Amino acid sequence: MHALIIDDSRTMRSILRRIVTELGFETTEAGNGQEALDHLESGLTPDICLIDWNMPLMDGYTFVTRVRADERWRNVTLMMVTTESEHGQIVRALAAGAHEYVIKPFTPDAIIEKMELLGLVAQEVPA
Amino acid sequence: MISPTSFAYVADLLRRETAMLCEPGKEYLVEARLLPLARAAGTPDVDSYVARLSTDLAERARAVDALTINETSWFRDLAPYQAFTDAMLPPLLESRKHVKHLEIWSAACSSGQEAYSLTMLLKEHLPPGWTARIHATDVSTTMLERVKAGRYSQVEMNRGMPAQRLVTWFTRVGNEWEVSPELRSMVTTQHLNLAAPFPPMPVFDIVFLRNVLIYFDMDTKRDILRRVSTRISPDGFLLLGSSETTLDLDDAWTREAAGRVWMHRPRTAARPTLATRPPAAPAAATTVAPPAFTALSQTGA
Amino acid sequence: MTVTMEPSLGDVHAVVEEVWSSFLGAEEPILPLPTPMPPGGWSAAITVSGGWDAQVTVQLTDPGAVHVTSTMLMCGEDDCTDEDLRDALGELVNMVGGNIKSLMAGAAVLSLPLVGHGDISPGSHLVEVCRLDLTWRGEPVVVTVHTPPPPAVA
Ligand SMILES: C[S@@+](CC[C@H](N)C(=O)[O-])C[C@H]1O[C@@H](n2cnc3c(N)ncnc32)[C@H](O)[C@@H]1O
Repeated sequence: MHALIIDDSRTMRSILRRIVTELGFETTEAGNGQEALDHLESGLTPDICLIDWNMPLMDGYTFVTRVRADERWRNVTLMMVTTESEHGQIVRALAAGAHEYVIKPFTPDAIIEKMELLGLVAQEVPA
Repeated sequence: MISPTSFAYVADLLRRETAMLCEPGKEYLVEARLLPLARAAGTPDVDSYVARLSTDLAERARAVDALTINETSWFRDLAPYQAFTDAMLPPLLESRKHVKHLEIWSAACSSGQEAYSLTMLLKEHLPPGWTARIHATDVSTTMLERVKAGRYSQVEMNRGMPAQRLVTWFTRVGNEWEVSPELRSMVTTQHLNLAAPFPPMPVFDIVFLRNVLIYFDMDTKRDILRRVSTRISPDGFLLLGSSETTLDLDDAWTREAAGRVWMHRPRTAARPTLATRPPAAPAAATTVAPPAFTALSQTGA
Repeated sequence: MTVTMEPSLGDVHAVVEEVWSSFLGAEEPILPLPTPMPPGGWSAAITVSGGWDAQVTVQLTDPGAVHVTSTMLMCGEDDCTDEDLRDALGELVNMVGGNIKSLMAGAAVLSLPLVGHGDISPGSHLVEVCRLDLTWRGEPVVVTVHTPPPPAVA
């Protein structure tokens, strides 16, 4: 499994990387939407993109619309991870094609539970 | 660090008021939970704060609340909620079609995520003309106030709430999210200590008794399960937490697998067999397992 | 009609606490105690513009900024470079500012964060409408919200 982590903050990318690596994902990082699109164009096929909203060059919302407009990436799961937390913004992101939404700040559990919800990680089997 | 005398006092207090066990080794936890209260009360340390609890009732309630574990999340563990819609609702929709009403009990409801998660599923799955009520109970009045308020912080919303349901059922109020009046009207609350005799209550079709039995000793668990069995309809369902089981406790229950969870049902002679069985269910739907059998781990993924 | 031009102190406090408890460790809560802020130190600011205009600033001492950075990046305090501090404090004010923005009515956009050593003085046309004096790990943390002055009432 592979996760593409898109955030202009190196700190946030490292926080997210630690969480998904624990879940067994390999990761690629991008500092904005354009860089992330370049990764996809050059053949990277992540299972999920974790996407910040506010970034220089290309924001996360634009990235989502661009990915959804292209058949090649229709199997990629898109999850916003952003401080944008108005009701209307979440509605917009979902309408543009995001599958899930995590509001910053979050705890690691929140990311893990959303990945379970998306069927990307098997739930812990109780002993 | 908290003195042995203070720790013993606190452990005893918790046991008397909630039946929860607080065993030696938990000193650090107690200290960490009570220190902020001690500071807020203007006492110099946890020991002098604990000394005050013997006379200050309001403070005692605050201390008990702070020591109770309220950890919960939306659609916690997912599989129980899958079982709710796939395995429990279909037979109940059939057998209750004359009353068109379901009574559900969220026992030990904490801040209400379990109860409201269920209301969302009911809104999505109940046929027109049906009603349902979730009766949410807890020993903590602070938690019951939270259920009634139906307001959740951003961090709590992040814990398992699917984005689509968030935008459908919640509005932003200041820094929090408020659940819609429509869902709130389906939930009633009542103060209830599981370890004490139950107040008058209806008989329930489904009982969620999750992640609370783990805090009690064996006798208390047995006693609670026995009394729960009198509050559940003969063709009803009981769901426990993923590390909890009726197995070594009581032969008044039978179990049926639904995906990755066990549904517990009162053992009664005459119960119509289920028309619908979840696909993942093992061949023997009713299991009387040997004591060494560990529950749950052998179903599903 | 009255338009609220400032977020409530309680809401801003709740936002700051959520950010701290999520990323900076629940064992060391951020306390509502004022500790004097010495001059110098780090400031991180972000602006909100649109339906509501404001600047949100988080100020930390040098040791406070290093605590924040090493906790968020999970690196040793001695290994934190200035680059690391800028990045971590930028994300910190982004989370605080973004959530404060959503407290206010009207569509608004968030700028990218600006982080500097020493004061980032808010534009002289802005007035302070909200100020929190907090303490974390013995170091002062100050969060302020500045907005344009209300139009003069006739
Ligand atoms: C860990 S939470 C579980 C919440 C929810 N059922 C879930 O699974 O997410 C445990 C809850 O049990 C409550 N509790 C503890 N002792 C209790 C008792 N004796 N009677 C009723 N509720 C109790 C606590 O107040 C707390 O809200």
